[in-house]
Amino acid sequence: MSHTPTYYNSRRQQSFSRNQNTTRFQSAIKLGPVAHTVLVALMITVLGLIYVTQATRTTGYDYQAQKIDSQIAELNQQKSELEVESARLTALEAVKNSTVAREMVKPASTQYVSE
Amino acid sequence: MKPELVKGSRSNILARLVLIIAVVFALRLFYLQIIKHDHYVAQAQQEQVKRERLPATRGEIYAMSGDTPVKLVMNETVYTVFVDPAVIKDADKVIDVMKSVAGGNVRKDFEDMVKKKESRYQVIAYRLTRTQADKIKEKKLTGVGFQAVSQRVYPEGRLASQVLGFVNAEGAGNYGVEGFLNKQLAGKDGRLETVTDVSDVPLTVGGRNIREPAKNGDNLVLSIDRTIQSKIEDVARERAKKLGTDQLSIVVMNPNNGKVMGMANYPDFNPAEYYKVTDGNLFNNAAIAKNYEPGSTIKTFTMATAIDKGVARASDTFYNTDRIQVDDAKIENATKGKTGTITFQTAMNWSLNTGFVTLGQRLGNGSNITKTARDTMYDYFHNRFHLGQASGVELAAEAAGGIVSPDKQEGNEVRYANMTFGQGMDATALQVAAGFCAVVNGGNYYKPTVVNGVVEDGAYKANAEPQPVQKGVISADTSAQLRDMTQKARASAFSHVDKPGYTIGGKTGTSQVPKAGGYSDSETIASYVGFGGAEKPEYVIMVSMYGEGKVLQGAQHALPVFTEISNWMLDYLKIQPKG
Repeated sequence: MSHTPTYYNSRRQQSFSRNQNTTRFQSAIKLGPVAHTVLVALMITVLGLIYVTQATRTTGYDYQAQKIDSQIAELNQQKSELEVESARLTALEAVKNSTVAREMVKPASTQYVSE
Repeated sequence: MKPELVKGSRSNILARLVLIIAVVFALRLFYLQIIKHDHYVAQAQQEQVKRERLPATRGEIYAMSGDTPVKLVMNETVYTVFVDPAVIKDADKVIDVMKSVAGGNVRKDFEDMVKKKESRYQVIAYRLTRTQADKIKEKKLTGVGFQAVSQRVYPEGRLASQVLGFVNAEGAGNYGVEGFLNKQLAGKDGRLETVTDVSDVPLTVGGRNIREPAKNGDNLVLSIDRTIQSKIEDVARERAKKLGTDQLSIVVMNPNNGKVMGMANYPDFNPAEYYKVTDGNLFNNAAIAKNYEPGSTIKTFTMATAIDKGVARASDTFYNTDRIQVDDAKIENATKGKTGTITFQTAMNWSLNTGFVTLGQRLGNGSNITKTARDTMYDYFHNRFHLGQASGVELAAEAAGGIVSPDKQEGNEVRYANMTFGQGMDATALQVAAGFCAVVNGGNYYKPTVVNGVVEDGAYKANAEPQPVQKGVISADTSAQLRDMTQKARASAFSHVDKPGYTIGGKTGTSQVPKAGGYSDSETIASYVGFGGAEKPEYVIMVSMYGEGKVLQGAQHALPVFTEISNWMLDYLKIQPKG
């Protein structure tokens, strides 16, 4: 079976006889209700897949966030340990027992200079 | 032609059957999804949603080092090691690794626990450092697990242990600042409710996730000066060992704002190993928790009351016979021979009980400590100097002590005669120190405090300067007279021990210990309360000591402790001498 294309003459073509390739295509293929249903189902599936992909990506971020949280906790713990060590090293008892302190002598007397 | 099922045919029956099944399915789904919706949603959430407590970090505690806060109490993560003996493959290897890495932290019977196959959970070691835990983890031992726990760590060791208190295994503060300000230090736990995966990783799916962050505890800055605290602890330890006392307490206060700069007791304990303490009394801060009859240090309060009420001055005289009769009781002086007409200054210098009983009588009708005199003494001692009542200092387990009201039968003349020289009443060393601050600072009573401020985001925020809770408990003139009297009392016998150019005053106390309905002659509590400074008092030091079966004297034993600390304080605080 053959069919004849129907040409569409735009107003511009009518006026200037240009744009000769401008056509209005009318498909001879008709989509029935089954095809429509399948297409809609396919579209829903694609949209669903897109949603699932996005949700999975979000979950991926959750894992990254969890990993970063763990790193922060680990670093905080190391920081705390260093602070404790620093406090121990600068504790009065440690300072008193340091070699520098041991070589110090008590002043015999204290003098104040008045202005 | 429209196709139709023939009535009664098998296809027709099948179609009806399918329809019935479909209806049953639909009804069942309606029941499950609509009617039982809430039930199943809750059940699903129960399985999918994880509820976690977000523990608040307990606040750290700082002391002062001059004007800078330094850490006294910090937090440290340590690890508890547990095993599941049923799944351990190589028990000997576990034992070897634990011995070599955590030798000092394992439980005594941990080898038996590791081999106890019928058990599924045994704790075998406590308080491992992260380094130790990492070394054990590297060995990849099957059936060995770790639990991270936070514990208090004390970089300054035992320093101020009884001021600090400790935090028990359940995380609750006990004794000291930890006990009194537990809520403020503990903060408030947060909570997390979220859908998690099988590895407990929180997922952002679902719309009901809750995350309430924890509110960490306050980082407290104490008024305790680290250097002063260390000094007085050293002195307390050395003197107590030398004298063989069972208990020695020293309190150092700033009389101009009520801040406690140091508070030491002997014996003390190591807060990092509080669980090893077998004698619970060691947790008590004797300076605030132990009542005693303060003895002659109270004579400064009696004198202040008499001067403030206008019934006596230091230069006024009385006739001393070394004994005085009050109702049915005869009161004698410990130091005898200063008889005849003498001044109240002399009575202060020699700590003569008769002089202060006389002051009590002059508060009454001149010959008796009448109800009016007792009311006056109670008003000054209890209501103004806050003796015999908890001071409200931010330390747990503070004892109140007590002063018997003159309205009670026991608040009779004999009791109040005894109270004029510090017997027959109970107070703590801190109460005496705080009251004495008011005696010498111009007459303002400050509530003793050990808290200076907080550290927020690494910056020190000082509290507002404390204001007196009671102004003018005695007049400024009375206070000046008492400074002069206590200075003369000290100088009369001990002027050579102080650095020249400073105003140092104080009063000794030697109190008898009540035992079995009377007072023991073979046991006394020695004490000394005094102040030091140049133009004005800069510090008040209170010393008290006790030893079972020991006769300790205020002048002989407590005064030298004051002197050693006082001379050191003048240098430490860089107080320039007068003139």
